[in-house]
Amino acid sequence: MDFDLATYYPIFIYLLFILAFAGGAMVAAHIIGPHRRTAVKLMPYESGMDPIGDARHRFDVKFYLTAILFLVFDVELLFLYPWAVVAYRQEPLLPAELRRIVFWEILAFVISLFVAYIYAWRKGVFRWR
Amino acid sequence: MNGSDVAVSLGGVFSLIVPEILLLVVACVLFVGSTIRANRNLWGGVAVFGLFLAAYALWLTAAKVPTIEARAENGENISTMLFTSSILQTRLSLLVSAIALVGGLVLVLFSWNEVPDQHAGEYHACLLLSVAGLMVTGAANDLITLFLALELISIPTYVLLYLLRHDRAAQEASAKYFLLSIFSSGLLLFGFSYMYGMTGTTNIAALLDALARDPNRLPALALVALVMVVAGMGFKITAVPFHFYAPDVYQGSAPAGAAFLAFMPKAAGFVALLLVLGYTWIGGPVRGLALGPQVPILFLILAALTMCVGNVLAILQDNVKRMLAYSSVAHAGYMLIGLAVAPDLSYSTGKPITGGAEAVLFYLVAYSAMTLGAFAVITLLSTPERPVETVDDLAGLSSSHPGVAILMALFLFSLIGIPLTAGFAGKFLIFFGALAIPADQVQLSEHALWFWRLALIGAVNAAIGAWYYLRIVSAMYLRTPIKPIEQHPSWPGVTAMLICAAVTLGLGVYPWPMVKAARAAILSERSTDARTEPLAKTRND
Repeated sequence: MDFDLATYYPIFIYLLFILAFAGGAMVAAHIIGPHRRTAVKLMPYESGMDPIGDARHRFDVKFYLTAILFLVFDVELLFLYPWAVVAYRQEPLLPAELRRIVFWEILAFVISLFVAYIYAWRKGVFRWR
Repeated sequence: MNGSDVAVSLGGVFSLIVPEILLLVVACVLFVGSTIRANRNLWGGVAVFGLFLAAYALWLTAAKVPTIEARAENGENISTMLFTSSILQTRLSLLVSAIALVGGLVLVLFSWNEVPDQHAGEYHACLLLSVAGLMVTGAANDLITLFLALELISIPTYVLLYLLRHDRAAQEASAKYFLLSIFSSGLLLFGFSYMYGMTGTTNIAALLDALARDPNRLPALALVALVMVVAGMGFKITAVPFHFYAPDVYQGSAPAGAAFLAFMPKAAGFVALLLVLGYTWIGGPVRGLALGPQVPILFLILAALTMCVGNVLAILQDNVKRMLAYSSVAHAGYMLIGLAVAPDLSYSTGKPITGGAEAVLFYLVAYSAMTLGAFAVITLLSTPERPVETVDDLAGLSSSHPGVAILMALFLFSLIGIPLTAGFAGKFLIFFGALAIPADQVQLSEHALWFWRLALIGAVNAAIGAWYYLRIVSAMYLRTPIKPIEQHPSWPGVTAMLICAAVTLGLGVYPWPMVKAARAAILSERSTDARTEPLAKTRND
């Protein structure tokens, strides 16, 4: 397959748009936002953590649980999305013999994630305490 | 390979792992169920039911699907199946599955009353997942499948160690095990990636085939892969430079957790080594030399170090669990002798004798039975108020619990290697294999001398080992209790202990069925044919 840079132009447009949006948002916030400076606001932002001081301090286990739960859904998407795109197109990328077996595999995968979800739910991970 | 081939091979794979799938389903039930009811008897019962269900499914699968060895002996063309399937039903896989299920049953039984009610479901679920992992390990024919199977054992272990106990020592133990285990997995993957890089395939049979094509011109990368794979597995089997975590982790975790660690990762590590280095490869014998002719020397050094360090450090221990940890290190050393000897054994005589890799399998079963038995005794006698920690805690056991003391003595005598116990039969096969390399063949004379020395080191170590095992026996029988044990043994614990005792005695008195099974798992008809001779000889030059 010959490589033609022109076929990638939507990506460059997308890239430009992202940069413009990120830069624009910062500039706009700087220009039109109210400027009430407090000590806390002037600290570097580190996701709610105190950025200066001992790195070894405790943080709430809730964050950790949320991160693990995120994995449950994120990995699900990672596998489901390619399958959903490929499985039922007009021009078959997946051989017809494989369709059924792959469908059942995906189903087993979703069920196993569902079990994980039920377990997390019953364990009270969704209660933010 | 077109689509229908893939579909057939996928379907074939699924029919082979029905027992494992059943175990996973029961584990899911346990996980969800544990959030509804907290009852150790209920969930222990479900776990035992799951194990029996899997055993029944294994029985049906074994009856229905012929093993790959049986197919080869019937003259079927197995190469397509060998080179495409990621799971194979071999005699080794059936044996490993049986070991995993029996070991899993013993572990469920003797942690029955040790696990707290609110964690019982999760604990048994993790246990079943690991059993499934060990079963897949034996059947794996693909590096990725093998790695996933090993992780299926490791990941539940991290949880399991912590579920039994929540004190600081258990926290330290599980964190330590977690960090070192993921490190070893990393080393293992490093080695696997080099193996893939050399051959361009992850299928183990195809990979060994490619490596055996031109054994005298292996790339230098093969050595890196060998060292990395052996190091990664070394953590699991607690071979000596990689054993440091074992005493701390065994001591910190509850006895049931320590027993789990002494059995599950070790069995998986040895089985994986047998598979990856080609000890059991049906396509033609490379007999462990797949990654280079240095294998015997590497395992020889590891075995000598592991035996000596394990036994000498075990003498210095006063804590029973720590002592058993070093003892399990030492026994890993004895098993490594078998791996070192196997490559030379397979072609040194016309008819291969029992002593190499098949002795490792036999020793693995014997070691599991006696070590699990010893841990079962400790579990049985421990209460939160009066844990059995030091040798002194066992003093005078013969007067308070005569039956338990006799069984403990049986396990310890077996660990020493007294005749009529499994430990003796295992050691006999291992040492016999090391002494059986004929010295009259020129290219083997040097190896024969070295293996003779190795057997001598092993014998000296067995004598050293007797010292610390007999110390426990003498404490039980000759001393009066400082504070008598009042724990009354519960029936699941007693059952677990009796299963271990039956295996220990049975393998000691009548080892031949197990020897035959181990031999069948390692040596297939096709791998002992004449094609092997020139290949093996050129490799040794």
